[in-house]
Amino acid sequence: MVLTGAVREIREIGHSRRWLLGTAAGAGAAALTGCGLFDQADPEPPKPPDPLESLLAEAVALATAYDQAIVSQPGLRTRLAPLAEDHRTHAAEMSRLIGKPLASGPAPSASAGPATTVAALRQAELAAQKTAVAACKVAATDRAGLVGSIAACRATHAEALR
Amino acid sequence: MTKMNEQLGAALAAEEAAIYAYGVIGVHLDSDGDVTEARAAEQAHRQKRDYLVGRMSQLKASAAPSPAGYQLPYEVTDRATALKLAIQIEDGVAQGWRPVLPVTEGAERSTALAAMTEAAVRATRWRRLAEVAPATIAWPGRPD
Repeated sequence: MVLTGAVREIREIGHSRRWLLGTAAGAGAAALTGCGLFDQADPEPPKPPDPLESLLAEAVALATAYDQAIVSQPGLRTRLAPLAEDHRTHAAEMSRLIGKPLASGPAPSASAGPATTVAALRQAELAAQKTAVAACKVAATDRAGLVGSIAACRATHAEALR
Repeated sequence: MTKMNEQLGAALAAEEAAIYAYGVIGVHLDSDGDVTEARAAEQAHRQKRDYLVGRMSQLKASAAPSPAGYQLPYEVTDRATALKLAIQIEDGVAQGWRPVLPVTEGAERSTALAAMTEAAVRATRWRRLAEVAPATIAWPGRPD
């Protein structure tokens, strides 16, 4: 599966959102029960995930998927390596903006699962483009250009894989 | 609002330059594939120009008059120089739209992103036709 990494990341964000909602409701209930509870120091609320995090996870997952495809089909290197490099460039810039260093992923190996096909990579790019388009629409002013360029780049990748 | 007018005006100038350039490019292409591509691109740029003219008129923004002619960056004499110009023009149109993203919201921003993306995709198609590798760049729309 090309985007296993990204899907896992999105699920994690989903969990933390639910957890946030849970704590918000809990805090409301506590406020209603009386003043005694205010004596306790409020725990530091967890930082909401940066909206760029799911885009970053996708970029890393795509770069890895290309690496995997190149290992299993070395003849595709010339065509695929520049696309992987674009995703790594995006990931580096987003991780810099979020202030979260990039974790180095496992080295691609030929034995790790079925070969990723060009058609599957293209589908993954189209899906990732959709995510980026949605993210651009709601992005803060100072990030709209960055996220827009990432969306456009993913579209050009899908075109290059036709 | 003035900032938005300014950026829409810049996108309009890029679209008008593209329409002009495709007139020159078309003359030097002869294969059916190239010509179809160029015609579709020119048509797309005319639609974006009309959209921008309409939007700017709603905003009562005045656009700078489009120049009567353009100084091309080099002489277009054959297919190779025509394709080179087509790539440059589409990259330029993407760059013209990107500054519209931060000054717009919601559906209007999506329209600007679609215009930028379409130009970037055409630049990639021209790179493939011209056998320029790699056919993609990491940051479409970001000035070089």
